[in-house]
Amino acid sequence: MSTSSQLLSRRSFGRLAAGVAGAVGTGALTACTTGGGRPSADTPLRIMAINHVWSQAIRRRTEEFEELIGRRVSMTLLTADQLASSYNVKLNASGTDVDVMMVRALQEQLLFAHNGWLADLSDRVAQDEEFAWPDFQKAPRDASVSGGRVLSVPVVTERPALYYRKDLVEDHGGPPPTLEQLMATAQELTDKRKGFYGFVGRGQRSGAVSQWSSFLYSHGGDFVVGGRSGIGTPEALAAYEYYGRLLARTGPPGATNMSLEQAMPIFAQGKAAFYVDADAIYSSFLDPQVSTVRETVGFAPFPAGPAGARPHNIPSWSLGISTFSLLRDDAWEFIRWAAGPEMTAELQRDGIPGARTSVWSDPRSLASFPPDLAEAMRLNAERGLGYDRPRVLQVGRARDIVGRPLVAGILGNDVRPVARDADAEFAGFLVRDNRHKES
Amino acid sequence: MSATVSPVPAAARLRRRTAGSWLRGITIGVVTLVFALPLVWMFAAAFKTNVQVTDPSVGLWFSPTLENFRNIVEAGQILRSMGNSLLVGVVSTVLSAVIAVPAAWAVGRFGMHRTGSLILVARIVPAISLLVPWYYLFAQMGLVGSYTVLILSQMFVSVPLIMWIMISFFAGLPVELEEAARTDGLSAFGAFRRIALPLAAPGTATASLLAFVFSWNNFMFALIFADDRTQTVPVTLFNFISYASTDWGGLMAAATLITVPVVLAAVLGQKYLVAGLTSGATKG
Amino acid sequence: MSTTEVSPARPAAASGGGPAPARRPRTFEQANRRLKWAMLTPALLFVGLMIVFPLVYTVDLSLTDAFGAVNAGKGYVGLQNFADALGDTRRFWPAARRTLVFTVGAVILETVLGLALAMLMRKPFRGMRWVRTVLIIPLLTTPVAIGILWLLILDPTNGIANHLLAGIGLPRQEFLGSVGQSLPTLMLIDVWQWTPMMTLLLLAGLTTLPEEPEEAARVDGANGWQRFRHIVLPMLGPTLATALVLRAVDALKTFDILYATKGAGGGSDFEVETLNVYAYGLTFDYQEYGLAAAVLVLFTLFIIGVVVLLRRRGGRKTA
Repeated sequence: MSTSSQLLSRRSFGRLAAGVAGAVGTGALTACTTGGGRPSADTPLRIMAINHVWSQAIRRRTEEFEELIGRRVSMTLLTADQLASSYNVKLNASGTDVDVMMVRALQEQLLFAHNGWLADLSDRVAQDEEFAWPDFQKAPRDASVSGGRVLSVPVVTERPALYYRKDLVEDHGGPPPTLEQLMATAQELTDKRKGFYGFVGRGQRSGAVSQWSSFLYSHGGDFVVGGRSGIGTPEALAAYEYYGRLLARTGPPGATNMSLEQAMPIFAQGKAAFYVDADAIYSSFLDPQVSTVRETVGFAPFPAGPAGARPHNIPSWSLGISTFSLLRDDAWEFIRWAAGPEMTAELQRDGIPGARTSVWSDPRSLASFPPDLAEAMRLNAERGLGYDRPRVLQVGRARDIVGRPLVAGILGNDVRPVARDADAEFAGFLVRDNRHKES
Repeated sequence: MSATVSPVPAAARLRRRTAGSWLRGITIGVVTLVFALPLVWMFAAAFKTNVQVTDPSVGLWFSPTLENFRNIVEAGQILRSMGNSLLVGVVSTVLSAVIAVPAAWAVGRFGMHRTGSLILVARIVPAISLLVPWYYLFAQMGLVGSYTVLILSQMFVSVPLIMWIMISFFAGLPVELEEAARTDGLSAFGAFRRIALPLAAPGTATASLLAFVFSWNNFMFALIFADDRTQTVPVTLFNFISYASTDWGGLMAAATLITVPVVLAAVLGQKYLVAGLTSGATKG
Repeated sequence: MSTTEVSPARPAAASGGGPAPARRPRTFEQANRRLKWAMLTPALLFVGLMIVFPLVYTVDLSLTDAFGAVNAGKGYVGLQNFADALGDTRRFWPAARRTLVFTVGAVILETVLGLALAMLMRKPFRGMRWVRTVLIIPLLTTPVAIGILWLLILDPTNGIANHLLAGIGLPRQEFLGSVGQSLPTLMLIDVWQWTPMMTLLLLAGLTTLPEEPEEAARVDGANGWQRFRHIVLPMLGPTLATALVLRAVDALKTFDILYATKGAGGGSDFEVETLNVYAYGLTFDYQEYGLAAAVLVLFTLFIIGVVVLLRRRGGRKTA
């Protein structure tokens, strides 16, 4: 009797142990299969992308591509943070479950190149005449090259647009052509008590830096001047103070917490007169579901500062191939198709700004944009610099350093000491970053 | 400190006591409201339209809609995350109990305090200190993004937690019962299995329930180790914030959905949960 | 499976692992000892693997310049990372200060309020079960959900809080939208979430206290406050100390609510960046693994220091 109970207990204990081992084992197995394995004909081509109008448009057309190469395509759309952390995780593990990567050339490329995560596309683009690599605009094309090798292909470009309320600026002579006038008009139109703001824009430290870059350039400054920190120069200081004053005096409360997602609805709901942000988001203001300013929104080029109108014209999103991908040829076929002249033209006709000169010079592709927006984009592109953030390995840290005086200005504090300190910090950072680049 | 006080007339004392208990009742009521109202507000907002949510003058009197829930379920991620959280929670809790309960018996029954405190050090060490090397190691093993790593990292929290609770339970069991069983012929393990374990069943249930709840709520581990396929509920919620920051209704609906299991557990298992949370405290 | 003589009336039984059990306490002892180590080993192994090994690895990492990709090469730089961290007055020391401020402020409030509430709830009353149910919900709810719910309530334009404030004539506040108010606001949210924990812990302690000393004091004429201060509080000492340590350690490690409401870096001006948030950012945003490891070592030592301090003070109070 007690013997059987003894055996029973041993057996049940054994069963438990077996169960545990089984669970852990199957867990490890599933983990292994996600990592390795040779690709079969059934393995889909895996694309990781940002949740963006471009990705959605491409996803609608993937069937056409699947027929072309005879392989399924699996596209995952994520938010920017999720995408970044996914790359971190998968590429650190040398994962083979990513083939085509949608990356921000100016944010991640240098670091990914340093880590050896992006496949070299130089030969492919050089030998493919149909793809017409020289057709890409110079600035985005330059940003795609790291260490002399082509590591990505730009598919979406971005410039800052000055969104404004046509009905409100009528009496002020239309949209302001200079930054000075922008400040003056915005101040006149602001009525904080009624909850109406002359200007709204990004104020959250890191997100604001990229939009602020245009203000910096138009004041004659730059992040790095002659290889050294440029954020302590009088021009940079003027730009910091300008943006800070603009948001502090004419902007909504809590501006320092606002990224694109928080700032855009304020203009869309008719609570602001001016808004500076990426021109790619213009369609949100024409969407009756989220916007009350559909009839009254106007689009203007970036105004001129003391050093002229010098906005940024950047490749916001590009396609790259993971070095660990086992389907590199198919991945390249995808890039050929998605970033080729035909598709770029087709998408631009649908309102997604690409990076090909031939498409930009085709009047048909501009027809899909509202006429004043098309003109604004054209002018911005002509005058634009090809980067909107420091060109370093650790862009994240750089943006945090450079953004500090910006936040100080928005909070209404004295910018000068903060800018001096940030300048010193940035100088030290550049030394370390250069050392990393060389290692 | 002892001073003589002239005895207060009985009636006045009674009056004071009733007034005192009235005050006490009201205070307790107010305090309860303070803790309950924000949650009620969240539940209410989940059933409001976005226009109503962003209008602070709309209070608790409105006609409810299920639109928000429909939206977030259609978006697909939230149900999958709840499934993931359930899987990770159940497996990690079961595995942790299998490891921790016998260990707690060993420590509690035999007074092995030093060894016990070694394991409880795990409660003090900040998880973030281990996250970096875990990330390093698991990344190189290609395990990041798998259920395995989520379960393993959760067990790191659950094992000490279950032990913490169960040690006091086992320590409180009279040794004589087990001794008697031993003289009756049961093996040492048999005594554990047939005497100690059943007696500690309520404690095991409590500890497991708590471990499951903490697993459900775990944010940092999932943030780092889960990918879009194995995402658990707190991470989905967090992504929702940045992704749909103007869809307050949807946000509240998502937050409500993931809080419902907790509320259920609280209502049904309040006695056990409180016992579990407070065990070990009175021993000092 | 061996059989031996056992106490008469029962058939023999095989022991769990070794020679015959059954007769004397001494053989009981041996089997017990074997078993207890067998039972303890899986837990010890697991904890050892998951903690000791990674901790050693962290210390090792802190002595390198690991950066970028996880499998990139790295070199040893001695204590350079520690020097960098301890000399960093821009991010490290403010983060340490914020950690301390947050923890001290929140825990003190939670303890005082929790004690008051526990004293209030001490005598059983009708509906006590429901009050306890309501109390455990905040502390069991996912901190991310709590962050979301307070983001709505405290929203500067759409939130009910400002609406109520305006209703009674007070100015609108920016709460979590403001740089200066964020840390205090989050401390208050933490108090809201965790005071129930202190209440329940102290209540449990209170109910185990003997009644006689208090009765004796009341007969002697001591009033409520005197009884509390001189009888209850000292007797509650050990429980109070334990609760304090538990909560302080958790408060030092607060991450979820800070990250969920203010995002990476603890807000635009790093206003809620505590050591935990800072270390997270160093690892996953900056990929500076060596420096992150050094900060983590310092952070862990900091926490251990606080625990030791609290235990010693608590011990002295009860002595």
